[in-house]
Amino acid sequence: MPKLTVDGREYQIAEGRTILQAIDDLGLLMNGVDVPHYCWHPKLTIDGSCRLCQVEVEGMPKLQIACNTPVTDGMKVHTQSERVAKARRGVMELLLINHPLDCPICDQAGECKLQDYAFEYGAPGARTREPRRPAKKSVELGPTILFDQERCILCRRCVRFCREVPKTGELGVFNRGDESLLETFPGQPLDNPYSMNVADICPVGALTTRDFRFKIRVWFTDDVDSVCNQCARGCNIHVSRSNNKIYRFVPRRNDAVNDTWMCDHGRMSYKLNSQGRLVHARADGKNVSTVDALAHAGELVRSARAARGKLVGVASPLAANEDLAAFRDFLAELGAGPARFAVPRGESDEILIEAEKAPNAAGCRALGMVESTDSLGHADLAIVLGHTLHAAAFADVRRVVLVDSHESALSARADVVLPARTFLEKAGTFTNVDGITQRFEPVVEPTFEALAEAEALEELRKAIAGAPARERV
Amino acid sequence: MQSEPFVKNYLSEHYGDDAYRTLRGYEAKNGFEGIEKALTLEPEAVTEMVKASGLRGRGGAGFATGLKWSFMPKQSDRMKVVVVNGDESEPGSFKDRMIMERGPLQILEGILIGAWAMGAKRTFVYVRGEYREPIRALEAAVEEMRAKKYLGKSCFGKKGFEHDIVIHSGAGAYICGEETGLLESLEGKKGQPRKKPPFPAQHGAFGLPTTVNNVETFAHVPFIVSRGVEWFRQRGTEKSPGTTLFGVSGHVERPGLFELPLGTPLREVLGLAGGVRGGRRLKGVMPGGLSMPILPPSELEVGLAEELLAPKGTHLGTGGVMVMDESTCMVRVACVTSYFFRDESCGQCTQCREGTGWVHKLCEKIESGRGTSEDLALLDDVPSFMEGQTICAFADAAAWPIQGLLRHFRADFQAHIDEKKCPFSESFEL
Amino acid sequence: MTPETRARIEALFERYPEKRGALLPAIYLVQAEKGWVDAAATRELAELFELEPVQVHEVLSFYNMFYTEPQGRHHVYVCTNVPCSLRGARSLLRGLEAYLGVHAGETTRDGRITLGHEECLGSCGTAPVLRVDGAYHENVDFADARRIVDGLE
Repeated sequence: MPKLTVDGREYQIAEGRTILQAIDDLGLLMNGVDVPHYCWHPKLTIDGSCRLCQVEVEGMPKLQIACNTPVTDGMKVHTQSERVAKARRGVMELLLINHPLDCPICDQAGECKLQDYAFEYGAPGARTREPRRPAKKSVELGPTILFDQERCILCRRCVRFCREVPKTGELGVFNRGDESLLETFPGQPLDNPYSMNVADICPVGALTTRDFRFKIRVWFTDDVDSVCNQCARGCNIHVSRSNNKIYRFVPRRNDAVNDTWMCDHGRMSYKLNSQGRLVHARADGKNVSTVDALAHAGELVRSARAARGKLVGVASPLAANEDLAAFRDFLAELGAGPARFAVPRGESDEILIEAEKAPNAAGCRALGMVESTDSLGHADLAIVLGHTLHAAAFADVRRVVLVDSHESALSARADVVLPARTFLEKAGTFTNVDGITQRFEPVVEPTFEALAEAEALEELRKAIAGAPARERV
Repeated sequence: MQSEPFVKNYLSEHYGDDAYRTLRGYEAKNGFEGIEKALTLEPEAVTEMVKASGLRGRGGAGFATGLKWSFMPKQSDRMKVVVVNGDESEPGSFKDRMIMERGPLQILEGILIGAWAMGAKRTFVYVRGEYREPIRALEAAVEEMRAKKYLGKSCFGKKGFEHDIVIHSGAGAYICGEETGLLESLEGKKGQPRKKPPFPAQHGAFGLPTTVNNVETFAHVPFIVSRGVEWFRQRGTEKSPGTTLFGVSGHVERPGLFELPLGTPLREVLGLAGGVRGGRRLKGVMPGGLSMPILPPSELEVGLAEELLAPKGTHLGTGGVMVMDESTCMVRVACVTSYFFRDESCGQCTQCREGTGWVHKLCEKIESGRGTSEDLALLDDVPSFMEGQTICAFADAAAWPIQGLLRHFRADFQAHIDEKKCPFSESFEL
Repeated sequence: MTPETRARIEALFERYPEKRGALLPAIYLVQAEKGWVDAAATRELAELFELEPVQVHEVLSFYNMFYTEPQGRHHVYVCTNVPCSLRGARSLLRGLEAYLGVHAGETTRDGRITLGHEECLGSCGTAPVLRVDGAYHENVDFADARRIVDGLE
């Protein structure tokens, strides 16, 4: 285990790491140890061309790029010396001589590494008066990404990403020298299931998402950590919100789950939080207050029990572990058997996308629930979370009480419908395909009455017992 | 092109003889004595000979050749490869062209000696695409050698010594003369130099252990092996033994190639080239190709060898001696120079890509008479941001000549600024 | 690309430890067919070498001697680097520009000649030099250059 000294502090490092990797492994990169960089990315091959990560290494006469210098035992590195500062100033100045003055109209402003590092490490003024190299602006590079060729600093992260992660390789750099330009091949746009990651890794506003364009300035948003719910991978995300509205998902690094990536489908799923929602409690097809709906549902349960009818519970792999546990207990109290659940399935790949299109099938399984898409057969009453079991399975079920966040064929026919909170509106945990349990916190507050499933079940329990519900749920 | 240098020595002695390019002609002039001798020695012994000879690479960097050969792994389960740099594109340098065209078999013999020493099974000779005749000469020579079984399964009848040579054409990019830029280009990619580590001896052409040497470097090798280390060290200097073909160009009476011992004084080389044309006054000399800083007339006594030029703030490079007389506007020279480096930058490193562009724009601005003292101050500063901080030495090569011109001919630049035009009415036009 | 070209390219693969090493020679062979490499040929090369078309285009755009646009029937290049400039190459180029009625980098209207300038061609001792359809003409003055150009159909 080699010893590495950085700015006077000694650390033990794993074998076979470069200086930059070592600092990143320690969790200190730009978080205690400043080594600004553009072309290096922890999950891509090493490039070495931006030259910003140069540091002083004792015993080596020239500055060395931290991203490609292997750590040797006893190495001593300085990141804050005057030589390093001068080199950083030089790189920043040279990057800015052709970079357009687009900040006022550029989406990246506020989360732009060119702004940040120019401010931190650059020279106070511009010395160039020469005309800048003109190039393409606002090019639709593909269905998801907008490209501004003038802003590109040629770090080539995006080129490496497309070749190494989705392995679709749509991007390349044409020409030489200061005529170098990032391009696609005519007729082959940037179009792959992970395309929007290039906007994350682009340090500047050269690659931005069409979806986020001009929507909001990032300094008006704050980011809340959460987990994507579109498949069993559970990619970690930041949710950008402002004024109780969600503007986008951005992947959050988790080396055990999703590295630094997420798929475009999951990324765009933030929109689902405000589309097709169940916004009003219903009983017998008519909007009623939540209190009344609960009362009606309570009545249905009492009748079914009195008639010794068959009661079934159907859970959802979209529900949180806490909600599923509450449901198991609830069903046990009623003497119903273990809940059924169905998992929607689809395509998977070798990268992140899992075949199970729900975040918490593992949670259902762990609680002994029964996975099946078979018809429920005859039942007098079904208490249902979510609509992942297709409506046809309920053909022979007399009454349905549904707790769900979104409208569906099932919500159209259910006798009682109670709006549920989504994972973005409550706290809880999901367990992903690898058995990793991940926590999420509420990000936004619904603008209508909605309950987390566990809360709904608690209210239903009271309603069954005839006790009055809380006035405001 | 001249068929032989104006002054010859052991290397170019027979270049005037067309037949020397053929097996028959080459063998008639002691060709292949080197490889035959080498095959009687252990491979390591051959490397030691080359080390002892002190032969320095002739491609511009002057690295100790024997030492470079010793970097190759002794044992390897992967094929070892030799790559020959025939990409000569340094402005002012035109020696490799003659060696390839007039002495191709010297190069090929040297390659085989190196292949034997290093245990390499294949060689790629990368020749710049514009050098059509050198490519043809080399291909014809390789064909002859294959037919005679000097190449193939048992070269020169030596059992187990398998080798073949591929002549590979470049496609017009100066940066492909950089060692790892060449390897990238050979692999069918853009010629963008690689970060080091890894080094070519560990991870070179196609990821294989590789040694890259210049064509002229290989051409000297047969002479070292056949005539001996002592003999070789009789010419040149202690640190830079042997001869090279100096290429003299520009404002001289007799531009061309001159094979002379390293360390020959610049004044002597200029004299052999007939002195400054038309009896004019000398203004400056670039001794080592366009990348190496210019020298003023006061430095004509300097010997043309790396260790003698370095203290004068310049380098031997490829020995391309470019002579400029009093009519020359050094700012125009700066424009042509900086245009070249801007055009040829591969574009990877920030400092080189943007710096070469900026330097060129500044030179053009000053030359046109629109320059200010701030521009001149920038021209002092920007090259210093480029040096010593990039993946390869191209940025250094781009910075140095500008720094040299400013160091010795700042007055030319100042005059453009003061007079708001170029005051050198007799200079070559832009 | 023609079947002959394809066959010649495939014959090159075994010279290189990885087939991509044959890409530059392959591009020359394809380019010889009509003087430049169009998008369709780029896609064919990509398929043959198991690359993305954008990767092939990267290579085409990097090197001076590969053309991705139609060219004149003849290429006339003048070296304009320092040693040649010192011996009048730029005046020579200006003269040719005037004579042919095009700027360096352009093709004459009748498609006969593409005029251009190049960097050092390794002919510094015999400057100025013209490279015409790959052949060097050294020690030329304007009269020589005009004669050479007049001989091009």
